Amino acid sequence: MAKVKNWHLGRDMEYVYEENRPKRQWSIVFDLNKCIGCQTCSMACKTTWTSGKGQESMFWNNVETKPWGSYPLGWDVKVLEKLGHQEWKKHEPYRGKTIFEAAEPTETTVHFFPTDEDWMYPNNGEDDCTGNVSHGTHLNLPHDQWFFYLPRTCAHCTYPACLAACPRKAIYKRPEDGIVLIDQSRCKGYGECVRSCPYKKSMYNPYTRTSEKCIGCYPAVEQGYQPMCVQNCIGKIRVMGFINPPWKARKDNPVDYLVHQMGLALPYYPQLGLEPNIYYIPPIHANREYLTQMFGPKVDDAIKQYKKIKDDPRTQGLLVLLGSTDRIMHSFDVKHGVAYGYDEKGDEIVSVPVIEHSYERPRYDSKYEAVRNNTP
Amino acid sequence: MRIIFSLALVFGSVLLADIKAVKTTTDLSKTLPADSVWKDIPKEPVNLVAQYMVNPKPKVNHTPLIEVQAIHDGQWIAFRLTWKADSKSEAGKTGQFSDAVAMQFPVKEGSPPPIFMGMKGNPVHIFHWRAQYQKDEEKGKPEMKDLYPNMNPDMYPMEFKDSGHVKGLNAEKREVYSPGKASGNPQSYQKNSAVDEIVAEGFGSSSVIENKMSRGHGVYDPKQKTWTVVISRPLVRPNGSVLKPGQNGFMAFAVWQGAKQEVGSRKAITPNWVSLQILGPT
Ligand code: SF4
Ligand code: SF4
Ligand code: SF4
Repeated sequence: MAKVKNWHLGRDMEYVYEENRPKRQWSIVFDLNKCIGCQTCSMACKTTWTSGKGQESMFWNNVETKPWGSYPLGWDVKVLEKLGHQEWKKHEPYRGKTIFEAAEPTETTVHFFPTDEDWMYPNNGEDDCTGNVSHGTHLNLPHDQWFFYLPRTCAHCTYPACLAACPRKAIYKRPEDGIVLIDQSRCKGYGECVRSCPYKKSMYNPYTRTSEKCIGCYPAVEQGYQPMCVQNCIGKIRVMGFINPPWKARKDNPVDYLVHQMGLALPYYPQLGLEPNIYYIPPIHANREYLTQMFGPKVDDAIKQYKKIKDDPRTQGLLVLLGSTDRIMHSFDVKHGVAYGYDEKGDEIVSVPVIEHSYERPRYDSKYEAVRNNTP
Repeated sequence: MRIIFSLALVFGSVLLADIKAVKTTTDLSKTLPADSVWKDIPKEPVNLVAQYMVNPKPKVNHTPLIEVQAIHDGQWIAFRLTWKADSKSEAGKTGQFSDAVAMQFPVKEGSPPPIFMGMKGNPVHIFHWRAQYQKDEEKGKPEMKDLYPNMNPDMYPMEFKDSGHVKGLNAEKREVYSPGKASGNPQSYQKNSAVDEIVAEGFGSSSVIENKMSRGHGVYDPKQKTWTVVISRPLVRPNGSVLKPGQNGFMAFAVWQGAKQEVGSRKAITPNWVSLQILGPT
């Protein structure tokens, strides 16, 4: 076991291999306040990568309704239950154990193997609210009864459990962009990655008899384009970019800005210890305890920050850049009411007005003798 | 010899087995577990322990004992291996693993390499029989419908009818959309032999070599709850291990109980090399 730095936890932790950060790290930020659960991302991924034999119930990108939905069934509750009760005090490093540290001596991680059937209900719990709304209830914030959509891809973790668990060393993390891949020519289908990835983003293909996972759309990323699930997001809730660790963060990098500069976006289940590289702007009206369990003790601050965006044109600008370009934005700027995204060379690839122009027209049009209303 | 001695002390319960391959006149290239040639061949008990070197390891040893019979005909050598298994497991669906057995031989003569799959520059030659591969050999590689008879996929976009517009894009060529196959992983192809031959130079380094000669056949007896597997190989395997009549060599074993979720490094092994004497005229 090696000692590695995990900034999500604010401390060093134990991992099977030495710390070896890639030159840059693939990353996606999702604004959960805006996800409409349309599953376009799931279909974009599916039609691009997993429409073959043995991939019938394989969704590298899935969207589940929290708290009742999960794919594979119960992945999150099972992992948390296996890990057991752990403490994380506000403004302190995580003192609990990670899945690596809590592993039995004969194992690499704390894990479970989902059953075959567990993968067959990707829509389980979809749109289910926490409970019934009783008579006489009125609107409260945060909501008494709630749900939110959680879109998920592989997190191309800095400390992947899938990679750590593979006894054949058939999984590798690319030094150029941090994308974690299963070498399809060497995998023997042992399923140790399926067992060990706590997010259950490594999946077994019974037709090829190998394990497969999200490839971060590396062919697109290599060409400077964002992944399919990001490009096709209807709700424009996502941005893919390269995240730096906090000690190298750049204010003009869209992902660094949301994660480090503003503290708006948080990793999910960081306590598991993988330093996952998908980040979420938490849904502000959902139950706070649940959110704390999922995103850690920084969730209160993230929500406070989110509520300040109405007075913050720079952040507003960045949020309107989400979903406005297929290209990877390496930097951004907001000036004179316009948000700009730039490529690696600093050339402009997109510009969007922060506030769209709106026109007000009289309710009654005397020329056409017609009444106007707001129905689109 | 010193290594063998000290390991035997560590694993006090492990008997140092001594396998003797008797010379016969029967042609062994096609021998099966039920053949009469095995009748009078003594069974050598070989003790196994739960693999203990690398994680993940089995928590308990599911296969404490394997019985080994060995014969050769001057060209071929055959091993008949018997062990207890509560049920038969041939893998298939997600989370199902195959019963399997492996025999390992040093490639170089002289003192053998580390038992854990050899080392760089001192490789081992492995014969890996899997119930799953035998099923392939007998019934063909399972289609999704064989694994999930009630499954009803809307369509596979790559299975479109060949209208002739895309020249030469036949079913076989479309398999490039199956990643394991496209990258040439032997795992993803129909196995025509129940035995894979592998050369390894250390843990996690194994690669399958083309298997044209060795054969294997297993029979599961549900009453006795036993697997009996015969693996036969030519004595001389160019680019692999070379066995000779009159030789005092080494071999090792591993067993996986698929139904107990054993796969990869979750297996029972011989913790030290077992001696293999090939009897008969040199
Ligand atoms: S999310 Fe899972 S599959 Fe993806 S890199 Fe992390 S451990 Fe591996
Ligand atoms: S990044 Fe690409 S491969 Fe991964 S989930 Fe999104 S679309 Fe699928
Ligand atoms: S496409 Fe976007 S909005 Fe629709 S479910 Fe996926 S992440 Fe949510």
